[in-house]
Amino acid sequence: MNGAKPHRWLQAALNIAIVAALLVAVSYLPPDTSLQDRQRDGVLKVCVPPSYPPLVTGDPSRPGFDAELVDAIAKNLGLKLALNVLPSIGKDFNPRNWSLTRAQCDIIAGGVADTAQTRSFLQTIPTPAETGWVGISATGTMPPSGSTVAILPGTAGLDRLALSGWLRKQGLRAQLMRSPAELEHALKSGTVAAGITERFVAASLDLDINTLTMFWLDESISPRFRMALGLWKGDQTLKRAVADALELLEKSGVMLRLSVRYGLDKDIEEPVSDLQK
Amino acid sequence: MSRPIVLLRGVYGVWLREIMRATRDRGQMIGGVSRPLIWLLILGVGLNPYFRGEVFGEVRYVIPYTYLQFLFPAVIVLNIMYTSIQFAVSVIWDREFGFLREVLVSPMPRSLILLGKVLGGSTVAMLHGALVLILARFADVTLSIEQMAMALGLMFVLAFGLTSFGVILAGRVRSFEGFGVFSNTIILPLYFTSSSVFPLDPALTRTQTATAYPEWLVFMVQVNPITYAVDALRGILIGFNQFPPIYGPAVIFGMAIIFFALALVDFSRS
Repeated sequence: MNGAKPHRWLQAALNIAIVAALLVAVSYLPPDTSLQDRQRDGVLKVCVPPSYPPLVTGDPSRPGFDAELVDAIAKNLGLKLALNVLPSIGKDFNPRNWSLTRAQCDIIAGGVADTAQTRSFLQTIPTPAETGWVGISATGTMPPSGSTVAILPGTAGLDRLALSGWLRKQGLRAQLMRSPAELEHALKSGTVAAGITERFVAASLDLDINTLTMFWLDESISPRFRMALGLWKGDQTLKRAVADALELLEKSGVMLRLSVRYGLDKDIEEPVSDLQK
Repeated sequence: MSRPIVLLRGVYGVWLREIMRATRDRGQMIGGVSRPLIWLLILGVGLNPYFRGEVFGEVRYVIPYTYLQFLFPAVIVLNIMYTSIQFAVSVIWDREFGFLREVLVSPMPRSLILLGKVLGGSTVAMLHGALVLILARFADVTLSIEQMAMALGLMFVLAFGLTSFGVILAGRVRSFEGFGVFSNTIILPLYFTSSSVFPLDPALTRTQTATAYPEWLVFMVQVNPITYAVDALRGILIGFNQFPPIYGPAVIFGMAIIFFALALVDFSRS
């Protein structure tokens, strides 16, 4: 007597299941040796600028959000952290001009914005820190047409052309500042009606919070970007391990604790659109 | 049973036959797996280090993605191309061994027989393309449900156009051996000149691009319709377009309509 006839889709389903299982298994193969190399050396080299508060401060008692974050990541990966301070980081808004090499850094932190320009050079893992253009004025809004505004572009790669076009449209006179100290002086002395700079540069200024208010410029002028950890393109296994470590740090509350410690959780005032237009 | 229902059942029958034949054929399934493995695992991983941002100070590869991510959508298109165009073999097979003759004398209109066959071939080709999506984790491509749905929709329309193209080719080739050579002389040149393995930087002007690549190559890339299919899938899967985003879907839908119409003319004559 013949056995039951197999279902007509059985053969097809088996074939599909076998190839799908094979591809799933392959997708877990390591595509490179970047993580293996770091584990062999036992060291995670992270390049940071000398100072970019609050992400990197240079102060050993409060080293900065990114500095503490990469330390926690290194511990999570069972590696020793080697912070490599490079003054060239942040000297130019294009990270390609930071003279970075693979020999110096496995990860670049403290001032890497997650923009298309950055991603053309590095692959990125966004962190909770966010940047964009902020205004600083006594009223918490941009001054009326004809006023002078101090501009300090910063190095995070924000769109300067969009900003200058918007300033022209508003009839505001731009006065270019060369350093945070110069911007601080201009705001305190009242020689300018307001200042515009990148969020973290603004946070580093020693301003009287009772007289000056910091506020985001409208996103139509320039979108806000998440800050990120930069890794070399092609270092896929290291990137996965760092992303997994970040997820663990987030779940364990370490990320939130660091955000609070460095004031990243503090709200900056949203733009008052009708007054800015 | 009303006539439209009977006709639809006929289309379903032809479609189902194609699906069952393709999914039971282990050789075809192995082909669907081996291509992504070779292209992503061997070529992708092998060339990945040469497309890093840092090349001892000189930056050449300015695409904001890794090479594996860049290659990933192109391998999907390659899998669809092979399966779709080689579907024509089944048309030659049916013609040689008489199945087509039997179906053609049935009361079903030829257009619906062709539709059933092309839909069957397109479904199989789309499934082969979808196999590559399983390797998304390997290529570090993160996909949302919406991205998957959009990609599968576009992959199906592309497969429909290319399967129709395969039927047109089958009408001009009389033997299996002839078709094998023919398909390789079409699939691989189309694939290599579709900006699948090297990028045309969208930030560059035409003159600047011509300094990186010879003008004849840039011209071939730009006139190749597969370029726009790869670009459309890149737009959906990794958010990167080298051409205006509307070009891809427009070319894919255009190909589907034109090739099916031509296949219909050929099929009606045969």
